Amino acid sequence: MASLSPPEEEAAAAAASFHHRRSKRYSSSTTNGLAAESVPDKRHKISLPPSFISSSEIESEFSHHDPAFARINNGSFGSCPSSVIAAQRDWQLRFLRQPDRFFFDELKPNISASRAAIKRLINAEHDDEVSLVDNATTAAAIVLQQTAWAFREGRFDRGDAVVMLHYAFGSVKKSVEAYVSRSGGEVIEMQLPFPVNSAEEIVNRFRTGLALGKANGRKVRLALIDHVTSMPSVVIPIKELVKICREEGVDQVFVDAAHGIGCVDVDMKEIGADFYTSNLHKWFFAPPSVAFLYCKRSGAGGNLHHPVVSHEYGNGLAVESTWVGTRDYSAQLVVPSILEFVNRFEGGIDGIKKRNHESVIEMGEMLVKSWGTQLGCPPEMCPSMVMVGLPVCLGVSSETDAVRLRNLLRERFSIEIPTYFRAPGEGETDSITGYVRISYQVYNKPEEYHRLKDAINELVRDGFKCSSLTD
Amino acid sequence: MASLSPPEEAAASSYHHRRSKRYSSSTTNGVSAETVPDKRHKISLPPPPPSSSSSNFISLSEIEAEFSHHDPAFARINNGSFGCCPSSVVAVQRDWQLRFLRQPDRFFFDELKPNISASRAAIRRLINAEHEDEVSIVDNATTAAAIVLQQTAWAFREGRFDRGDAVVMLHYAFGSVKKSVEAYVSRSGGEVIEVQLPFPVISAEEIINRFRTGLELGKANGRRVRLALIDHVTSMPSVVIPIRELVKICREEGVDQVFVDAAHGIGCVDVDMKEIGADFYTSNLHKWFFAPPSVAFLYCRRSGGGNNLHHPVVSHEYGNGLAVESTWVGTRDYSAQLVVPSILEFVNRFEGGIDGIKKKNHESVVEMGEMLVKSWGTQLGCPPEMCASMVMVGLPVCLGVSSESDAVRLRNLLRERFCIEIPTYFRAPGEGETDSITGYVRISFQVYNKPEEYHRLRDAVNELVRDGFKCTSLTD
Repeated sequence: MASLSPPEEEAAAAAASFHHRRSKRYSSSTTNGLAAESVPDKRHKISLPPSFISSSEIESEFSHHDPAFARINNGSFGSCPSSVIAAQRDWQLRFLRQPDRFFFDELKPNISASRAAIKRLINAEHDDEVSLVDNATTAAAIVLQQTAWAFREGRFDRGDAVVMLHYAFGSVKKSVEAYVSRSGGEVIEMQLPFPVNSAEEIVNRFRTGLALGKANGRKVRLALIDHVTSMPSVVIPIKELVKICREEGVDQVFVDAAHGIGCVDVDMKEIGADFYTSNLHKWFFAPPSVAFLYCKRSGAGGNLHHPVVSHEYGNGLAVESTWVGTRDYSAQLVVPSILEFVNRFEGGIDGIKKRNHESVIEMGEMLVKSWGTQLGCPPEMCPSMVMVGLPVCLGVSSETDAVRLRNLLRERFSIEIPTYFRAPGEGETDSITGYVRISYQVYNKPEEYHRLKDAINELVRDGFKCSSLTD
Repeated sequence: MASLSPPEEAAASSYHHRRSKRYSSSTTNGVSAETVPDKRHKISLPPPPPSSSSSNFISLSEIEAEFSHHDPAFARINNGSFGCCPSSVVAVQRDWQLRFLRQPDRFFFDELKPNISASRAAIRRLINAEHEDEVSIVDNATTAAAIVLQQTAWAFREGRFDRGDAVVMLHYAFGSVKKSVEAYVSRSGGEVIEVQLPFPVISAEEIINRFRTGLELGKANGRRVRLALIDHVTSMPSVVIPIRELVKICREEGVDQVFVDAAHGIGCVDVDMKEIGADFYTSNLHKWFFAPPSVAFLYCRRSGGGNNLHHPVVSHEYGNGLAVESTWVGTRDYSAQLVVPSILEFVNRFEGGIDGIKKKNHESVVEMGEMLVKSWGTQLGCPPEMCASMVMVGLPVCLGVSSESDAVRLRNLLRERFCIEIPTYFRAPGEGETDSITGYVRISFQVYNKPEEYHRLRDAVNELVRDGFKCTSLTD
């Protein structure tokens, strides 16, 4: 595989690769998702300036998606274009063809190439800071296992605190239970408001939660903060929260950005956390599954180990992670191919992020207007996903209702979208209790959101109530 | 995907239309006569009865086709390291991968768990486990070791084991497992005792006696032995360990838990959980059971005391038992775990299924090994009955393998100059030994191998001998 070149060169290379394509530009305006087509002049085939990926090329890249579905849930499992899948298959076949030679000669240099590419993307200081792991769940286990050892080995005292958000992802909460609670740590969950009105709301609640964590002279050993919460989904102002943690003497800050790269701005030096993890398969077009775990060298993060111990034990987490026994490492090797793909879009990954954000807001506002509801947060606090309130008359009154409604949308309307139940607060009447989380990725089209709009409106017209649903 | 049908029916109905030579149990020259299929009868042939002895087994040309993605330039005599996967199983794996990519939510909610359960059920039957709860599917034996040893670490840390309690393992345990023992046992206060085994091996009794001695050392001064970690088939040097006997000895001697590392297990040796009697047993499926990389099972015997094993990658299923925890460790490509029924279809195209394959592999590797030692004037590393589908074959002494570096460089030479892929082993001479064999190769035999590959190895080494080659001449 070719060695990496800086992103600008990569963009030029991508453009040069596709200079011969005649296609409409993927316009930055998505008012109607279409831009005017132009007929190419073949005589000037070679001299035309480079053009970006077209809508039909995008369709082709995602033609393996089930065409029956309105797939408005990129946030859960992400997506992977055909060209990256093809690159992955090449890697898989190279291993199968002669696995020993692959192991001795090809694997490590190409994992290093992926790590180097990620280092540049996330503005880390050094390749050593970048470990490739299976997913954010694995990264959480790595960080929390270190915390458990610290309690068990007496570096932390029984009862020292770990603070996390109440809206942390379910699997991460389990990991905290499995490693922190079990080894004697105290877990403080911070309640955040939802719907959210401003970043200040979150900052203030966090300060309060941290003060509680430090109550009675307790040490806060770890703050575990989501960059983008999953359910309900909002962007957390983590730069500010990390600063507060430093001011308040929190030992380590671990940012869980499962929704990270390709979704929000991911600049390690700017964010300043000790540990930061993000999946690449959610918003960065990797096949399942690959994530990075960033560990600041100069930070307080010390003795991290991959739980699957193998030959590289003791050589640092990044190197340990390069070999965790015989595995299919192909998802880790396609990062250069992913860069080729994203650089076919105007503005590369940043352009994609920007347009996804604009589109999801546009679609979200279209929905709330039609349903008479509201978004779960201000537009500036969502990236490429947003919570959209469901009509109150649907009567979403429990998590079970929300799950069953989701199943109904899937089975009756072929719409894939996660639902969320927001319990009414004290004294609230007629508040919005049901939300959907819409995602927008490059393969999405407005008609999918219109289908959702119409499906809900149909249910409303039919006088549908969630209480009528059974499993 | 279809539910499982009894292996015989699946094999017969799938391939009733094939006319092909049998995969002969005779591998004298590795070749048997080809027959040309009669295409006119392709569709109209009735399926033969399952017990039919008619030639409906996979042919040599079909086997070649199944492994046509292997690099044809190479004599690939190292199935033991990374295994192999036939094209038909790779194709099924791709189907699974595409099903996820097509509509991942629906796949997650509707398809994933039932199909992992189907794989676990198939494995349970294959390994004669009592209950599916005992069968967890994990990435590889390395992961399984981490799971068992992490439990040991918690026991030390939580005071159930005393500082200094012992864990006994073989000196020839795999390198990554030794690191895992260091990372979890030593770090949490356990004492690690390594049992030295002889090599070359003369008999199973030798191993049993050494093990007894090692266990006594472990129990010295009233120390408790909390875990015995025993390989079913050691990696380097490779021999089959008499684990049934060793497990019995562990029970007699009051060892708390026995963990058998059978990275080379299913498809290589007989894997009967009830017969072996260990508390934990792990085996890779991608080494000798034709799975794509990578998948292994970890068997955990259900016991009255209960096992507090957890998958280290904690997710939503935490607390629901290891088998269920292992079904979801975050978003992953689980396709390698889903192809077990397809693997069974494949192996049942061979006469005798996986047992027939094991038997023929064993006979073939011994035959090839004896051919080599006869040509080189050396010896095997163990008696034929103590090897499965791999055997250590001594290299001519005159090559002068005098260190591990020599062995590695010789391996590289064989790969680069002769296109032969084979692992090498340096055996340091014992006290007072002169002119002993210090270099071995580990040959594997799997269904895609052919005698000519071993002839190439024979000839390459003989060429080196004729040229007066010495390992000292090698550099990196």
